[in-house]
Amino acid sequence: MATRTYLQTLTDPLIRQNPVTLQILGLCSALAVTTSLAVALTMSAALTAVLVLSAGPISLIRRHIPDSIRLIVQIIIVASMVIVIDQILQAYFFELSQSLSVFVSLITTNCLVLGRTEGFARHNPPFRALVDAFGNGLGYSLILILMGSLREVFGAGKLLGFQVLPTVDQGGWFTPLNLMLLAPAAFFMLGLIVWAIRSILPEQVEPLDHAPPNAERLVD
Amino acid sequence: MIRGLWDRETVALLLLAALMPVASAWLWFGGTEALLRLLLTLTVSGIWHFVFMIVRAQPPSFAGAITALGVAMFAPQDLGLVAMLLGISFGTVMGELVFGGWGRNVLNPATVTLAFLGFGYPGVSWPDFLLPIAWAAIPTAALGVIFGVMPVRVILGAVVILMPAWALGLQSQPALVGAGLVLVVLVSDPVASASTRLGGWLNGLTYGALVVLFAIHWTDAAAVQLAVSAALLAGLAAPLLDEIAITLWIARRTGRHG
Repeated sequence: MATRTYLQTLTDPLIRQNPVTLQILGLCSALAVTTSLAVALTMSAALTAVLVLSAGPISLIRRHIPDSIRLIVQIIIVASMVIVIDQILQAYFFELSQSLSVFVSLITTNCLVLGRTEGFARHNPPFRALVDAFGNGLGYSLILILMGSLREVFGAGKLLGFQVLPTVDQGGWFTPLNLMLLAPAAFFMLGLIVWAIRSILPEQVEPLDHAPPNAERLVD
Repeated sequence: MIRGLWDRETVALLLLAALMPVASAWLWFGGTEALLRLLLTLTVSGIWHFVFMIVRAQPPSFAGAITALGVAMFAPQDLGLVAMLLGISFGTVMGELVFGGWGRNVLNPATVTLAFLGFGYPGVSWPDFLLPIAWAAIPTAALGVIFGVMPVRVILGAVVILMPAWALGLQSQPALVGAGLVLVVLVSDPVASASTRLGGWLNGLTYGALVVLFAIHWTDAAAVQLAVSAALLAGLAAPLLDEIAITLWIARRTGRHG
């Protein structure tokens, strides 16, 4: 751990240690709030803010948190930050907060946030914890923005509300693929992204659970 | 599965041969348009099989032609070229090739394609089938069963429900025609249907019951659409039905032998 530079701590979670595609954390929000880019951007910003804001305090008091109640303490800190962010969204971006519905409050239980506070901030000094939290927030945001853009473009022909591909209804050629706006499409897309990343970086491929039977053995 | 002559491609070719009555009847009545659709689906499916052969060293299979036939027969008619390309690419890759090729897939790739198109483009019109094409389903099922490549219990299980339901007036004749054709082309697939004896019966019964249920309650759906949806759900249930059959078998054996 000590050998990693701050730059590595920041950039590793972008692709190499990406929380969504490698550690498969924070999926429920990645599937639920990527129907359009605007929503995905808001969610990414909210999650990154909560992640960074809670990593600092937890790292500061890391030597004073009793082990037996550490999760409760972490959740209290995370939940306080979530409430602050939620209130800010409701005050200044009311319509976006409506379309995010319950998912901002659910950042509290996002496994990504708890994973980073429990797994990193609790064992590292504040600055390093902040850098790590920010890097993980960016890694999560990267995947959300990618999925949000693809789903909005193929599902509605729009990007951030602007018509990119002219749909048939408007006299263009593009037929919107309604499936993209449904939850299964997010699963398919996440699977394809994970597949693409692991094809490029084969060291991310997990070992097989079961070895396939040897074909030669079946003949005898 | 390598037993002398019986390798995977033998099964695929025999299945293709069994499907010939339906395919030729459909081509005869569909004319040039049907032929062009079949050529398109064959080409796209073939390209994907070729890509996976080059990139992942997966041997291509004649089963790709079965998928292409299923998609060409049942896909909605007024879809654009892009939608067709997207649909069959999705079905072939995500439904079959990512699992390692035909024989390892969980669902019938043609069913996956059709479900993708049905969910992705709601409001398209599904094809209707003339009665003579439906009659051709009977020799197809007979050939498939005689060759040993179609699960006889799945077919019988479905017929046991579909025919009485039609006789009682629970479903219309177009619904029966669509369900019968989907049964022989998509549901009675040696890979994706249940493989235990009891599981096969249950699989056929599930398909038949779902078709009747949809025919009664899903009033604005086309015949093929509800049959394809029933095929998708029955295919998803197949592993569970096999599991139930195996559990029962183990329980019986434990009861008998202690």
